[in-house]
Amino acid sequence: MTFFAPFTIPFIVGSIVMFAIIATKWITWIIQLPKVDRRLMRHNLLTRKTLYAIWEVIRESLLHVRIFRVNPLLGFMHMSLAFGWFLLIVVGWIETTVYLGWQMIPLQGHVFFKYFAPLNGIDTHIHLFDHLMDALLLFVLIGVALAWFKRFRARAMGMRRTTRHRLLDRVALTALWFIFPARLIAESITSAIYGNGGFLTGGIGGWLNNIIHHDILVALYEPSWWIYSSLLGAFFIALPFSRYMHIFTEIPLIFLRQWQLRPTSERKSYDNFEIAACSRCGICIDPCQLQSDLGINDTQSVYYLRDRRYNMLTLKVANNCLMCGRCEAVCPVGINLSTLRLNSRAKRRNIPHEGRYKYFAGIDRSNGSGKIGYFAGCMTTLTPSVQRSMEKIFEAVGDEVWYADKDGGVCCGRPLMLSGETDAARKMVVYNTDLFRRYEITTLITSCPICLRVFKESYRLDGIEVLHHSQYIDRLIADGRLMLDASSEVFTYHDPCELGRGLGIYDEPRNILTTLGSLREPWHNRDNALCCGSSLANTIIDDQQQRRIAERMTTELDATKCHTIVTACPLCNKAISRTAHHPTQDIAEVVARNIHQNC
Amino acid sequence: MRSLNFGYAISHPRAIDMDNNDLRKSRAIIEEMPELQACISCGSCTASCTAGNITNFNFRKLHTSVRRGEYKGAYEELNKCMLCGKCRLVCPRGINTRGLIMLIKRKLGDF
Repeated sequence: MTFFAPFTIPFIVGSIVMFAIIATKWITWIIQLPKVDRRLMRHNLLTRKTLYAIWEVIRESLLHVRIFRVNPLLGFMHMSLAFGWFLLIVVGWIETTVYLGWQMIPLQGHVFFKYFAPLNGIDTHIHLFDHLMDALLLFVLIGVALAWFKRFRARAMGMRRTTRHRLLDRVALTALWFIFPARLIAESITSAIYGNGGFLTGGIGGWLNNIIHHDILVALYEPSWWIYSSLLGAFFIALPFSRYMHIFTEIPLIFLRQWQLRPTSERKSYDNFEIAACSRCGICIDPCQLQSDLGINDTQSVYYLRDRRYNMLTLKVANNCLMCGRCEAVCPVGINLSTLRLNSRAKRRNIPHEGRYKYFAGIDRSNGSGKIGYFAGCMTTLTPSVQRSMEKIFEAVGDEVWYADKDGGVCCGRPLMLSGETDAARKMVVYNTDLFRRYEITTLITSCPICLRVFKESYRLDGIEVLHHSQYIDRLIADGRLMLDASSEVFTYHDPCELGRGLGIYDEPRNILTTLGSLREPWHNRDNALCCGSSLANTIIDDQQQRRIAERMTTELDATKCHTIVTACPLCNKAISRTAHHPTQDIAEVVARNIHQNC
Repeated sequence: MRSLNFGYAISHPRAIDMDNNDLRKSRAIIEEMPELQACISCGSCTASCTAGNITNFNFRKLHTSVRRGEYKGAYEELNKCMLCGKCRLVCPRGINTRGLIMLIKRKLGDF
């Protein structure tokens, strides 16, 4: 049995280099994982979570189910390339095993079986395999054709814009594009010479036999296999350094994620898996409002991850993001884009300073008493009517409330965190937690989704229920404690990013509004809602740019022809009321003016 | 005589000496954020300031001094800021004040 021919050298070298580099990378990353993460791995290895991970690998790494949701044709393209290639390898392996029995066959023996079969004296062919392998090759070729088509008409596949790639990515991409056509040609010429093959290679082989002289075919035989092997080798060598690293990295990422590993506000080794798992498919580009409204083309998550991976991240790219989470919502790999970007900012800006915020000591701006605490937040103090409305609601239901910052208190810390100063923000976390504990509140209500998110994610408030005011009001209505007057008023609700995508609170504000009148949804709503553009996370775009984002967004809100635009975030409220043609109110204001008066 | 204190003090003369002030950093800041020149010193940023509410932090004074090349103590003073962003919302000239604070700190002290 011979399984060696000179043309296989590029393939063998390529695959050895590729597997060596990938293994080195993975092992280094795993070794560098913090202890907590490694403990999680050990703890969850032999649980049901591993089975879920295997299922997710099949769904996402092979079938690409999440991309199907973006666009069926795009999903099919990714599936045919990934799943098709996988099946070619698996069925190819079964084929060689059936022909040659259980024995150790080197890798190239499987991959170039069509070449080695006649050399090893196999002349009776199993037609099933010939046709099956041809069908799979056709399946992959359709994917390649779609990829070519996508270069010219990305729009037809649901993508308005595609990624601009680096040179190495282009080299790898070109190699990938020509691997399967090269395989088709090589196998067809082989079929033409030996007179075998399935419906595809056999068919083309027969046709080649008719139009090309046999001697020429024989002369083309070896070069065609050389081309196929060289393309494979080139692709394999480029793979670990290019975006195609995602092919293999997504698999460990899925396992680690199922084992509950998560990125944090501090950089850690786990981030490497997420970063390398980005395929730069570019699905995150279209939802980005910095792209669609402002034409900013270098800061989308795909470029951010690329820059971070190759150590060329600039402060501007790291900071130029609204962190609205629209990209994260569509990312087919499920990368925690916002957290990664945050820890990039932390790396650049988190400067410890001992004396910072010493002035917090002894400050207490709270008043009132009660087990229910109300934290207005900086933004709410800037929109006092929201706070007054909340006071009116508290009064109507007779709840005794302790106001944490009625006359302006200390910030919740999220704005600093969003700018990467996690350690400084910790001081606010400590201060506010102390304050809440000192007054022994059991419920904490806030009107600001920014504060709400940091309370839920970064504070340790065990024993204190943290609620957004929309949740609190919804509960009051459900319990029958708050009676509201329904009217024929038509509302449109804008989902704030931090409240909706950030914390998954979509239904409570809608429940309240449908109690009060009727609700019309804007075109983009719920987890697809647009950002108001005023996000604290972005310190790069200027006022005019913020305004342009807000204008585009409020056009949709105005288009519903409602009476009142309602939102649940004081910051969104400011941004919307600046550009909208309809009156804009916070949900608390709408509720407060519709409280049922008993006589 | 010197030890007698009648409760009066003479303010130290405070002249803004633009000839001797080192304006390189100030120019670099304005170059990166030219909109700062649109500031009308209305003081809305200071009036709405969360940190200014509980300390004597005064952002208008601070960025005016920095523009004049008077950097002394500016970095430490800016450390009082909590970056809540209200100043940006109230600025009638639409200046990106949060970005400005980070920029000044970067030019004057950070890395």
